[in-house]
Amino acid sequence: MEWRLLPLRVDDAFTSMAIDEALLRLNSEGKAPNTVRFWRWLPSAVSLGCFQSLEREVDLEAAKRHGVDVVRRITGGGAVFHDHHGELTYSVVCREGDLPRDIIESYQIICGGIVQGLENLGLRAEFRPINDVQVNGKKISGSAQTRRWGSVLQHGTVLISPDVRLMFELLKVSPEKISDKFISSVFERVTTVERELGKRPSFGQVRAALVKGFEAALSVELVEGEMEKAEMDLAAELRSKYASQEWLRKR
Amino acid sequence: MKYAEFKAPKGVIKVELTLSEDNTLSRISLSGDFFIYPEEALEHLEKTLLGVKAEVESLMAAVKNFYQTTGAQTPLIGPEHWVEAILRAARS
Repeated sequence: MEWRLLPLRVDDAFTSMAIDEALLRLNSEGKAPNTVRFWRWLPSAVSLGCFQSLEREVDLEAAKRHGVDVVRRITGGGAVFHDHHGELTYSVVCREGDLPRDIIESYQIICGGIVQGLENLGLRAEFRPINDVQVNGKKISGSAQTRRWGSVLQHGTVLISPDVRLMFELLKVSPEKISDKFISSVFERVTTVERELGKRPSFGQVRAALVKGFEAALSVELVEGEMEKAEMDLAAELRSKYASQEWLRKR
Repeated sequence: MKYAEFKAPKGVIKVELTLSEDNTLSRISLSGDFFIYPEEALEHLEKTLLGVKAEVESLMAAVKNFYQTTGAQTPLIGPEHWVEAILRAARS
């Protein structure tokens, strides 16, 4: 089976979220093919899970001070700092029928693309249910999935060399979460491609490794294509929702 | 307003609530980094809980009823985790 592979894009948070939703909506209507894409955030941004409370998770003053955008996702899960210089983000959009019905199994298949992609870079990675990929017992990639209108959107991060200090300035970390793991420092829980490889690969190298990883994990051939006009138009329309205070402050 | 957090097997459930004089929930807001499918079900869960007594049996019955009527899925999170989170907030 052939799925579409879009060119690497660099967009602001609101545009990226709008593109993901546009691809999901049009895929569910049969107007867009199953698609894999890779993208970066400009400026750097914090994305909030759709059930999270803005005030409780993000230091808005710090975000403002650092020129970091804040956006709410349509997917659940936690708040993430997306560093323009240090993270490659992926999205997979496909029909629900092309994945297992079981949610964790479907995460495992898509995250398998990350696992195999990291292995292509020379790392040993493993899936950690529900939605993480680890290297040497530390999180290197997190994903979030939604299923709507008969289609699935899963997007997630691959940490290449993010500014972890800034991450902690921006995110309010729950004491419950830290104490439960008996670990006081995020440096012991999170790792990066640069740290594990001992050198920093280019975004192009990481993308190429992940493309092969997704092809193997999804058993598809990824064929390079472009976004259609209908997708661009719908994304432009949806962008205003993601940029709105109403959506941001929903919880 | 009362508030508590509870670390479930997947995600931290954060609960804000107000209790009436008869110990029922008059306001409740759930947030956190969990997953719910479909996403709209969280609002349904909050509505289901209004007017329910803040004690184990009543909460458990309401949450179980929510799962049955909506068919919502919450990977690695079960009724007992919502109930524990709500009780913690009620006792706070």
